[in-house]
Amino acid sequence: MMRNDPIKHVFIWPAVLVVLAISIFPLIYSLTTSFLSYRLIPPIPPRVVWFGNYVSLLQEPRFWNAIYTTTLIAFIAVGLQYVIGFAVALALNARVPGERLFRVALLLPMLLAPVAVALVARMIFNPTMGPLNQLLGKFGLVNLPFLTNGHWALGCIIAVEIWQWTPFVVLMMLAGLQTLPEDVYEAAELENASAWQQFWGITFPMLLPISAAVVFIRLIESYKIMDTVFVMTGGGPGVDTETLTLFAYQEGFKKFNLGYTSALSFLFLIAITIIGVTYLALLRPHLEKLR
Amino acid sequence: MLRRTFLMLATSLATACAASQANAACSPDYTGVTLTVASQTGPYIASALKLGADEWTKKTCGKVNVVEFPWSELYPKIATSLTQSDATFDLVSFAPAWLPDFVPYLSEMPKEMQSGKDWDDIEPAYRERLMVWEGKIYSQSMDGDVHTYTYRMDLFNDPKEKDAFKAKYGYDLAPPKTWKQYLDIAEFFQRPDKGLWGTAEAFRRGGQQFWFFFSHAAAYTNNPNYPGAMFFDPETMDAQINNPGWVKGLEEYIRASKLGPPNALNFSFGEVNAAVAGGQVAESIGWGDTGVIAADPKQSKISGKVGSAMLPGSDAIWNAKTKTWDKFPSVLPGPFMAFGGWQVAVPKAGKNQQAAWDFVKTLTSPEVSGQAAITGGSGVNPYRKSHTENLELWSKIFTPQEAKEYLGAQADSINAKNVALDMRLPGYFSYTEVVEIELGKAVAGQTTPQAALDAVAKEWNRLTDEFGRAKQLAAYRAAMGLPAKN
Repeated sequence: MMRNDPIKHVFIWPAVLVVLAISIFPLIYSLTTSFLSYRLIPPIPPRVVWFGNYVSLLQEPRFWNAIYTTTLIAFIAVGLQYVIGFAVALALNARVPGERLFRVALLLPMLLAPVAVALVARMIFNPTMGPLNQLLGKFGLVNLPFLTNGHWALGCIIAVEIWQWTPFVVLMMLAGLQTLPEDVYEAAELENASAWQQFWGITFPMLLPISAAVVFIRLIESYKIMDTVFVMTGGGPGVDTETLTLFAYQEGFKKFNLGYTSALSFLFLIAITIIGVTYLALLRPHLEKLR
Repeated sequence: MLRRTFLMLATSLATACAASQANAACSPDYTGVTLTVASQTGPYIASALKLGADEWTKKTCGKVNVVEFPWSELYPKIATSLTQSDATFDLVSFAPAWLPDFVPYLSEMPKEMQSGKDWDDIEPAYRERLMVWEGKIYSQSMDGDVHTYTYRMDLFNDPKEKDAFKAKYGYDLAPPKTWKQYLDIAEFFQRPDKGLWGTAEAFRRGGQQFWFFFSHAAAYTNNPNYPGAMFFDPETMDAQINNPGWVKGLEEYIRASKLGPPNALNFSFGEVNAAVAGGQVAESIGWGDTGVIAADPKQSKISGKVGSAMLPGSDAIWNAKTKTWDKFPSVLPGPFMAFGGWQVAVPKAGKNQQAAWDFVKTLTSPEVSGQAAITGGSGVNPYRKSHTENLELWSKIFTPQEAKEYLGAQADSINAKNVALDMRLPGYFSYTEVVEIELGKAVAGQTTPQAALDAVAKEWNRLTDEFGRAKQLAAYRAAMGLPAKN
């Protein structure tokens, strides 16, 4: 009887309209714009080019370079974040002395704004005035081109990503570790299973669902990296560290090439969806085994 | 009672008198008006705007709020505000190169400001060229920018250095006339073991790097026999940036990157100034700020030893029309008006346009701008005749010899017959972005100078076609001071 009460419309429709206004409409507008040749500066009247922007992008080496760079940063950074984060979580779970202090201290990087972290990192890696190169100089070593060589610059960005986001993995894995039942480990010890065997036979499989979620979240977030790269290298040298979001920013907010940028955003969305679906498909058989 | 009434009357009269005196001090009276100005993050330019704001407040009782944005964010912030026609900013400060993009949204300068003593005092290069767009004036220069050469007088005047240099290169050690001499000098002073390097220039993407490259190339591409053909052919709008003159300029720019302090590839203009003022380099090129900062004993280790000269030039310049090198009887200096100096303009959408133009008048008056020009870190370089003629003004920061060389280099560069103007075109960022990317690759050795510039030329031609070749050609000719093509 309550279900047919017309008052439900009063509660539902405002929410529906808000979602439409702030989420669906911009998405549709953006999709429409992606089929136009549309520049604000210099002002050029919009012209329908259908898939022209998509074709240009797919033929653009800079786009593929941005995909490659973003993927490289995301996979290496997330892989190392997971390995280091899991290891630290295991250590903290073993109730080492000062564990609480470690736990708080390790969370601090995650609480900082990425822009602030990138600014500090840029100073540390500064080729002439940075403390890192000064330290190397004291040991008689040559100055390293941290931010002026493509490979080094990528390494620096990945290092900063790892430093900032490993605590997130630690936090999640530690929470997972603390939910594992003690009796399974007691049984394993009775069977004389080594610590290594206990890890691969019990801990890792039982934490697989949470591991899958953590890696998935970090992977998606890493693909959206922008602020760290923008501050540390601006995408340079050349376009060696230019990520997809930075490329979109340059096209959208420097050149005001709106049609092209919208198409780029949708290609980005498609790429992320493919990666997400592939990742989940690969993991599904392993996760289903645990059910 | 009567006494109390009398007292009240007297008090009211006194208050009214005081108020009228205060209003009389505000001329014109802009009490209650607050102007918002968009600026790049200080101290450069923002501090000059604040200096002007203080003077304007004293004069008119109006207020000025300077809103600062990092250099890389300034263009998008202003462009977004202008294209949306919102009234966020009453004034915008920007690079002359952006003027073509902003013109549709700017108000014209009031006619009464376009005449008189203060107007005639502005150097013609600014007044008649950089401030003009399609015959109209939409902006006012608040800074003069031309690249000049800076060197350490103590090293250049040292007899031992002079002898050693002459023995090695066969000519006297002096401010270079050609870019080859510039590189010879840099090579000669390259002594890393003594903490001394040859030269400092900007090489970092987003760090004003392409203007330094343009300065090298100007000497070989700004041909007086075919004016206005430095960046594009003014007849066809075909990109010229991959012609042999530009390639030679890039080769020398790359060579200069190897004669600087370690990791000079990460230098923006700020680091160039730090290297010069720190006494780390023997010579350098850049804007006038370098000389002012290097002369300031609070910021510099080489104050009192700062020499200045015009940029080096060449006696062979590529002719884009005949596609050959034109030989000249002597070396033509190659001054380049890199960036062209900050300008201020009043958006059409602004609600206080009259007050805003009045503020521009105060900000750019000979007195206020003269003070800004001699203040290290203000970002203001000479752009008025009075700036370079008033030696007394400059004696506050320079020795007589320093002042003579600095002001001489500034005035000679701006007034040189063959001074090269910077590129000003609609879609400026699209054109310069690809230059920055390819320069980065060429300087890092990932590609050859010719291949890098071929890539730039290809993209420039594509952009020109996309934006409309005829429209871009008309804009380019206007920017280069050439008559419209029929």
